[in-house]
Amino acid sequence: MMRRRLKAIGIYVGIIFVVLVMGFPLYWMVKTSVEPPTSLFSPPYSYIPRTFSGENYRLLLFETYFLTFLKNSVIVAFFCTLISVIVSTLAGYGLTRFEFPGKKLIARGTLFSYMFPPLMLGIPLYIIFDRLGLRNTYVGLILAHASIGIPLGTWIMWQYFQIVPKSLEEAAWVSGASRMRTLREVVLPIATPGIITVSTFAFAFSWNDYTYAKIFQDDITMFTVTTGINSFVERTAVHWGLIQAGATLITIPTLIIIVFLQRQLLESMAVGGLK
Amino acid sequence: MKRLWSSAIEHISVEKLWILFTVGPVIALLLAIGFIPMGYAIWLSFHSKDPFMPTVDFVGLKNYITLFTNPKFLASLGRSLQYTTVSVAFQTLIGLGIALLFVRPFRGKLLARTVVFLPYLIPTAVVGLIFSWLLSTQYGVVNQLLRQLGLIRFPITFFDGLKSAMYSVIGAGSWKFGMFCTLMFIARLQAIPKNLYEVAQVSGAGAFQCFLDVTLPHLKSTLLLIVLLRGIWMFNKFDMLWILTKGGPLRVTETLPIFSYRIAFEERSFGLAAAASVVILLILVIFATLYFWYFKPSKEVEVE
Repeated sequence: MMRRRLKAIGIYVGIIFVVLVMGFPLYWMVKTSVEPPTSLFSPPYSYIPRTFSGENYRLLLFETYFLTFLKNSVIVAFFCTLISVIVSTLAGYGLTRFEFPGKKLIARGTLFSYMFPPLMLGIPLYIIFDRLGLRNTYVGLILAHASIGIPLGTWIMWQYFQIVPKSLEEAAWVSGASRMRTLREVVLPIATPGIITVSTFAFAFSWNDYTYAKIFQDDITMFTVTTGINSFVERTAVHWGLIQAGATLITIPTLIIIVFLQRQLLESMAVGGLK
Repeated sequence: MKRLWSSAIEHISVEKLWILFTVGPVIALLLAIGFIPMGYAIWLSFHSKDPFMPTVDFVGLKNYITLFTNPKFLASLGRSLQYTTVSVAFQTLIGLGIALLFVRPFRGKLLARTVVFLPYLIPTAVVGLIFSWLLSTQYGVVNQLLRQLGLIRFPITFFDGLKSAMYSVIGAGSWKFGMFCTLMFIARLQAIPKNLYEVAQVSGAGAFQCFLDVTLPHLKSTLLLIVLLRGIWMFNKFDMLWILTKGGPLRVTETLPIFSYRIAFEERSFGLAAAASVVILLILVIFATLYFWYFKPSKEVEVE
């Protein structure tokens, strides 16, 4: 009895320790962002915030390009998600509903392109985009991000459509609906959970990307949130309060995803996962 | 008869149009932004392409010879292997440890899990910025805490020290990527039938014996999957290292991706950089072949 109780206490202590270690960096990020910028220059710091101030956020939003970065990230992530969802839903449907040769090649091709080293794509794409005038544009970055969103999305939808029974579609045909109408009114509603998973991953990938944005965009007005707040570090004086405020704001979409989609995400972890 | 044939032909062509409409876009896009650029990179690795030379000349294996006789390249290759193996080992271990702690029900499980999973979904760039601030030699709160606890007298130079930099970038990365392993392990642990543990306990096995005899065999394939996937992804890792150290100080964290980035975008020797990225690809192909050979993922989708 005594031993069992000791063991239970030990497990709790372990859990609390893990939560503290995992949570502290996040806590420190938020804490730094809501304190007056001047308090950062007078260590030692207190571990709980004494005075609150929105100064870091005011500076971030009105004195830097942060809102431009935010606009760029939202546009790129939105269209990357849209393209990935449309292309991979169509592909998942076609690959499970029609017979044609070369499916094995497509399966391997999508998985393999998911493993491409980002720099191996980045270097040739940089030269190609440079020639086509696609550097420092939305189109270039959207396409680069879709190069990850599409293979992963196709893989997920391919597996998903296998579970969706064909009998429902066949019933709709029998009652005279065209294939297009069946796709729109029968197949798409059933495919919604798969579509949500694909859009979450595509959005998260594009939102989190640093490497491609760093390679293709060198005009500060075309930076995304990740390359944008990192450009604050590269200046001479590092303004940590400003940076942690930016980091906190970038994290919010992630938090929303976790809260609303935790279960769905956990289930699809086995399929791919973020890099 | 004639009408039957024409309707059959019509039927086939309609089906073909549907195949084109559904599968055409994915093939076209994967070629345009995946396989064609990759082919171009391989082609480029046998040519010289420099910023001030408009011509692109075929140079055969010259780029590869230049690379493999360059001690900086060989050193970065070695660092890549060190970074990858130590990272993967560390992430797998903490991932498994946390998963074993969190798999049982306890009060506040949902909140605790959210806190633990959050790091994995936070942008890597943000993780880099949080740790630069947390572990800063001068202003870092970790150094402050260690000093207040009397554990150290002088601040630890986490990312600025020649010896500590590599372990610091591995540690910061594991805070995020170790949670991928936790997620995968938890998913697998929950699927182990409970009665297996009861049988083991009845036959007198202790907790550790249960872990060895029941848990570990069930985790084998997950373990291999994690090692392979994380191995591939850590070997490719660019953003984390670039944000934390830019390969410094004195190149001690300059792995292969950082090295190729430098050659391409600072020295602008695209041919040489392409050759370096082909080397990365070749090493990854070995990983990928293992993955395809062991897991046969194309069986997850019906290809026949």
